[in-house]
Amino acid sequence: MMPNTPMRHGALLTLLGTLACTASLAKPIAFAGGTTLMGEYGAGTMEEVQGFYAPSHRYSVGGGYLRLDSDVDESVVNITYARANYLVKRWNMAAAQANVFVWGGAGGASGNDFGGNVFTGNAGAQADYETRRIYGSLKSDFYDSTEFTHRIDTLQLGVAPYAHEYDQVAVWLVVQGRTYTGDLYPGTEWAALLRVFKGRIWVEAGVTEDGNLQSMVMVNF
Amino acid sequence: MRTYRLLSIPALLLFSLMSAAETVEVTVNGLVCGFCAQGIEKRLRKFPATRDVLVSLEQRLVAVDLREGATISDAELTEALEGAGYAVKGIRRTDTPIAALREQVKAAGQ
Repeated sequence: MMPNTPMRHGALLTLLGTLACTASLAKPIAFAGGTTLMGEYGAGTMEEVQGFYAPSHRYSVGGGYLRLDSDVDESVVNITYARANYLVKRWNMAAAQANVFVWGGAGGASGNDFGGNVFTGNAGAQADYETRRIYGSLKSDFYDSTEFTHRIDTLQLGVAPYAHEYDQVAVWLVVQGRTYTGDLYPGTEWAALLRVFKGRIWVEAGVTEDGNLQSMVMVNF
Repeated sequence: MRTYRLLSIPALLLFSLMSAAETVEVTVNGLVCGFCAQGIEKRLRKFPATRDVLVSLEQRLVAVDLREGATISDAELTEALEGAGYAVKGIRRTDTPIAALREQVKAAGQ
């Protein structure tokens, strides 16, 4: 495992700051013509940045970078990928919405326990349900190459202390459980998060049971 | 007296146009997240006929204030909202000013 050095936290904060600075240009994503930028710091086990453009609310295309630092051994993998996301089904109810997304992509990966850059395939799916007061999502992200296979499963359950209006700040309290396969992390990594969004900016931050920072920022424009 | 008459003509014309101003109120399903619903506002503001847009998650309402003499058809509104990922459940055209609707939404939220 790579230690959570101040330098790495500094790099993350720089990234988050960079994304936040683009917020003045931000516009939404969940419709044709929208762009989403996202950065996540996953408690020292994963770091990811993504950018997607959505020609339609049904699909988006883009790419990302994922770094995986094993908590079990010293292995580190850096994956760069292109990806397409597709909304398989959306249920628009009177006071709720539910979605099923899938995605697939390909890219290259390098690591400290294998040489060169290896082809890496990526596939995943997400199902979510939300009202203005409760939220739940289950996401599975799978990466496969000749050198490694990793799957990251993430469960999030959230509750909002109040039902936000369109022009208000939304606040959510979220519990996250995450498992990694491929000797990245033993067991389930639990985290408690505070999520806040308003306008084009979405920020969530919290702490894992190990005391590590778990955070994410997203901007739509 | 003649000056008064001359001034009153454009005033009456303006009043007539203002009273003809139209607000389209759309009932929408799936409107639960302000962050996600921004697409609605952006799409609707692209119509040249749009003067203002109001979105209320609580009321499941999307209201469009139309410019005088301009309009957006039901089909265009439905296409825009469904293109943003939401389900249109009803459209009605009123002369309620959007400012009044905004006040109603604010009052309902208190």
